[in-house]
Amino acid sequence: MSEVTIGQPAAAPQPVSPSRQAWRMFRQNHAAVVGLLVLLAILLISAIGPLVYTVPPGEMVWMPLTPPGRSAYLLGTDYLGRDLLAGLINGGRVTIAIGFSAALITLFIGVAVGALAGFFGGWVDTVLMRITEFFQVLPNLLFAMVVVMLFSPTLLNISIAIGVVSWTSAARLTRAEFMRLREMDFVRAERSIGAGNARLIWKVILPNAGPPLIVVAALSTGTAILFEAGLSFLGLSDPNAMSWGRMIGDNRPYILDSSWGVTFPGIAIFLTVLAISLIGDGLNDAFNPKLRQR
Amino acid sequence: MLKLTLRKAANAVALLLAVLVLNFTMIHLAPGDPVETLVGEMGGATPALIEDLRRSMGLDQPLYIQIGLYVGNVLRGDFGHSYYYDQPVLTLIGARIGPTLLLVTTALFAATMIGTVLGVFSAQRRSSWLSHLVTVLSLAGFSAPVFWVGIMLILVLSVAFPIFPISGMSDAVGTDGGLLYALDVAHHLALPALTLALIYLAFYSRLARASMLEVLGSDYVRTARAKGLPRRLVVYKHALRNAILPVVTFAGLQFGQVISGAVLVETVFAWPGLGTLAFDSILRRDTPTLLGILFFSALMVVVMNVLTDLLYRRIDPRIKIR
Amino acid sequence: MPEPLKPELLTSGPLLSVRDLEIVFRIDGQDVPVVRDLSFDIEAGETLGIVGESGCGKSITALSLLGLVPNPPGRVSKGQILLNGEDLTRAGEARLNAVRGNDISMVFQEPMTSLNPVYTIGEQIAETVRVHFGLSRAAAWDRAVEMLSQVGIPSPKTRAHDYPHQLSGGMRQRVMIAIALVCEPKILIADEPTTALDVTVQAQIFDLFQDLQERFGAAIILITHDIGVVAQMTDRVMVMYAGRKIEEGSVASFIRDPRHPYTRGLISCIPHLSLPPSDVPAPLFEIPGVVPSARELGASGCAFAPRCSHASGRCAAETPTLFPVGDGRSAACWLEVEAAR
Repeated sequence: MSEVTIGQPAAAPQPVSPSRQAWRMFRQNHAAVVGLLVLLAILLISAIGPLVYTVPPGEMVWMPLTPPGRSAYLLGTDYLGRDLLAGLINGGRVTIAIGFSAALITLFIGVAVGALAGFFGGWVDTVLMRITEFFQVLPNLLFAMVVVMLFSPTLLNISIAIGVVSWTSAARLTRAEFMRLREMDFVRAERSIGAGNARLIWKVILPNAGPPLIVVAALSTGTAILFEAGLSFLGLSDPNAMSWGRMIGDNRPYILDSSWGVTFPGIAIFLTVLAISLIGDGLNDAFNPKLRQR
Repeated sequence: MLKLTLRKAANAVALLLAVLVLNFTMIHLAPGDPVETLVGEMGGATPALIEDLRRSMGLDQPLYIQIGLYVGNVLRGDFGHSYYYDQPVLTLIGARIGPTLLLVTTALFAATMIGTVLGVFSAQRRSSWLSHLVTVLSLAGFSAPVFWVGIMLILVLSVAFPIFPISGMSDAVGTDGGLLYALDVAHHLALPALTLALIYLAFYSRLARASMLEVLGSDYVRTARAKGLPRRLVVYKHALRNAILPVVTFAGLQFGQVISGAVLVETVFAWPGLGTLAFDSILRRDTPTLLGILFFSALMVVVMNVLTDLLYRRIDPRIKIR
Repeated sequence: MPEPLKPELLTSGPLLSVRDLEIVFRIDGQDVPVVRDLSFDIEAGETLGIVGESGCGKSITALSLLGLVPNPPGRVSKGQILLNGEDLTRAGEARLNAVRGNDISMVFQEPMTSLNPVYTIGEQIAETVRVHFGLSRAAAWDRAVEMLSQVGIPSPKTRAHDYPHQLSGGMRQRVMIAIALVCEPKILIADEPTTALDVTVQAQIFDLFQDLQERFGAAIILITHDIGVVAQMTDRVMVMYAGRKIEEGSVASFIRDPRHPYTRGLISCIPHLSLPPSDVPAPLFEIPGVVPSARELGASGCAFAPRCSHASGRCAAETPTLFPVGDGRSAACWLEVEAAR
């Protein structure tokens, strides 16, 4: 703009890629780093725990309702004499698997609906947003309960049911990002050199909508895990697989005799979701440095 | 204004119709014969009743006639028959909807009110202990399963320190509707309402704080200060009324989720509402009842949306067509 | 001095006197000054223009007079703001509230967002008098309606029940002026009051200011970057650059004979003011470069030197102080000091 230079700020920072910069910001957020470590630990335990700790989770191994620390079974046993520690180690697999797969489905539906609505606008947008509104208003857990009950509680069905009722916020966010980005110069430039709609949506706009979607993905995983816990607490879980929510549901009638039966699985769920939300918050701050000043 | 109201009403009706279509679709998509799906765990179903059901659904006719029959039945107040309880679904739901409304509105009211107060206070002192409490509370509230929070509260406040009853809605045998009965219900209501409120308290305190922070930085708050208004008026008259607008909006939008939360909380506390009914329906595979509950929950959400919309317009004179 | 000053002479001094004001913003753990060594007076009933580009510290100076520097990150770190001899930088919140809107009031730049959307304009005027004068609701409302008519809003009785969104930008700014004047303040600060408005509306608003000043007798501090407005509205002008006052004087001499190179640049930017009328349209003039941000400024040296065509070695090394250039004027430029030798 002018040939006169005014007091250069000391040492201009080297340009770094946005993802590396975000990672740097993320590392500075101690809570998020702790969350990440906790989540990695939980994933590790769920992955190799059952191989190391081989007590079967679904069989009676000791006196029912044994308190923690009174037997070889560290966390005690439940009303059927099943080992709680084995339950926790094995139950994490189902909970986490459903959490991640449901989040994937949530994201898939949400991004598809939001991208189409935001990219095409007009009547496509109107129709899709009506549908989104409908799903937003629907009491989501009740709807998921109906779906799971009618279509049998397999892992896949539960994931689909959770995805089908939780995609609305991902859709709204994607739509907003697409509406913002489709008017940007680089998109117009691509369009002017003849890029088709599919290319514009997938290759041009979507990558740029990445950061907020990553945050939504993290939060969706947390909500999906809570959802799975709620459904299996109500008895809507795969009868052949142990899960944390189901452990709470199974042990609930016996809380007067064994508070530990419900406490430990609850803590497991709480820690997992807490870790994920800390990571989500950290990612959010890392991608939006401006918001940190709030 | 009238046009707007009509549009909103049309919207609400369309939404409820969509729920019916969804219900219908699910019955027919479910594996197996629709009649079997509806009958579930037989209960009071006799071959004659099943034949009756088959005819009333018009299963031998084209789909669009079936769907018309279904919607027509609902419009006449016929939500089907619960073969397990051997009662019309409408009767079952009518007996249960009151307790659910009581629980849900109490919890939502407490969550929005206390959440707003917490948010407003913490917005004014950003690094105070209260502000940190709101942060911790909102993280914990997002991460803890509501039913587990309920159980933990029972273990502490009903078992370790027996202050509140473990379950149910009243101990009184006769429901004479007197003051004692009301107190008894309130005593039973405290824990489930607290459980449900805690989860949403987390959300609303965070929302109110963010909103309040934004409003406190606005030009009109600066104007109010420049006029020489005392802090009390600046915060509680000028800032607060603007800051609660998103709280009102979300109270309407989130009502469906609050009802979902109530299903879990009712199950934990054996609160005799739609939630425990839903839980029992799952155990009995009582599809008509569950579908009826879904419909009435959607109806409650629609009504709640209309109410929050009216409230919103009372607070904000700018009429917004949202 | 022949006689010691009598107390009444002290109080008959300037209405408002700002002495050695420094305002700092805390940025990344460091106090960055955004206003430095600022002193100026304003007499009852006069109009002072404060001129400068955006970011030169005009608006924050105005806010400091009301004790409204956003804190954190900003604060007044040095100096005094004397209203009738009382130092407002030491006043408590209660005292400041009694001054705000009552002795000193302010009209902001953004009429669209400066009124509260959820209250009627009548209420927003009336509450000001209720707070300061303790009027009853009814009396305050009547006063609000009266003020609306004073600022030229048609059918004020019904309009008082309107909400801000029902009014145009110009009308809203009139409401802001009504709020500012309802307690008949001694000083009215107007921070770029017409920047957000149409040109025709701008003229109406300035007419209103002049008209109201005659009726209410308030001193006006008019903050602007528009030299034309300064020429039309003010008695005296103060030019600010990068947080400092660099020139001050009567409006006539300021326009006829600007002394500081920056001021000269500002005046030349106005095509019809700088040159005698001629048939050839004058080329538009532009000061090269931009105002340095407060963080980029060194501790010493003239802040304008990097953009100044007359800058010498001394300008980069030493900060020029205000130097009297006759006729009650002063300028902060080494050229003036050298010329006076």
